[in-house]
Amino acid sequence: MSDPALLVLASLAEGDKHGYAMMEDIQRFAGLRLGPGTLYGAIARLEQRGWIRPGKTTEDRRQPYTLSADGRRHLEEQLSGLNQIVRTGLKRLRHA
Amino acid sequence: MKRLARWLARLYPPQWRARYGHEFEALLEDVNLTWRDVFGVALSALGEHYMSEPTMSPRIVDLVSRDIPHGYELETVVEYPRDDGSRMLVRGFLREVDLGDSYVTLTHSSRGSEPAQTILVCGRKGDIDGDFRTDETEMLVLRADGTVQRTEQTVKTWLKYDAIRVGLREKYRNGMQAGLTPDDIFQQIRAASSSEA
Repeated sequence: MSDPALLVLASLAEGDKHGYAMMEDIQRFAGLRLGPGTLYGAIARLEQRGWIRPGKTTEDRRQPYTLSADGRRHLEEQLSGLNQIVRTGLKRLRHA
Repeated sequence: MKRLARWLARLYPPQWRARYGHEFEALLEDVNLTWRDVFGVALSALGEHYMSEPTMSPRIVDLVSRDIPHGYELETVVEYPRDDGSRMLVRGFLREVDLGDSYVTLTHSSRGSEPAQTILVCGRKGDIDGDFRTDETEMLVLRADGTVQRTEQTVKTWLKYDAIRVGLREKYRNGMQAGLTPDDIFQQIRAASSSEA
């Protein structure tokens, strides 16, 4: 799973986070380091689609984001699809 | 590195900077930036210009690229949207000649109904430091009103830009051989950069 948008949604499923916290979390759980440009490209796209929404900006200009109900539904659909691929792939490997 | 990234962040479209500029700068402050990050910021900023609104993106009306001895020529007509909904044609002619240690670039371009201006740059390549080369250049700007502006300056040239340019010209050649229009090729490049971003 290397789609930046999906990684951001998966990170926010745990709770609200600002950009730097998302970068650290994604590196921890996916082993991937998203650059600032890639991360904010994904954030802008997700906000346009209504899948995430900004929270209250902190005094140090950091902007936390929240996963919306639509975003949660989209993430569940995507992960179910991926899960199906993983299960099928592993099953076929065992029988190969 | 952070200064360069902050400078590149100014390349984002104004409406993007108005919405995300402050928080993006805060993130750039937090992160230990790599050259890959800096390159990513530049690519993402360019991508935002093209992706911000599909119906508002520029359209390649005509584009012809020709190889010439020690360089190439490029003729372009690009239609850009204006904020009021009208469209503006930008016509350009570029010729680059590179002799290894030195180069000459000729640009002749006009925006909308404005008279065209010609820019001639003659450069002598200097020392390379990492991804950058320091060149001594002399630039002449020739305007249609008869005025000429001459500037001598030391400029930093980003070497990876050459590789990007070579890659784009190869995509253009392959696309034309496959029977695509220049705008088809441009849209394909745009879609590819969108999925990478």
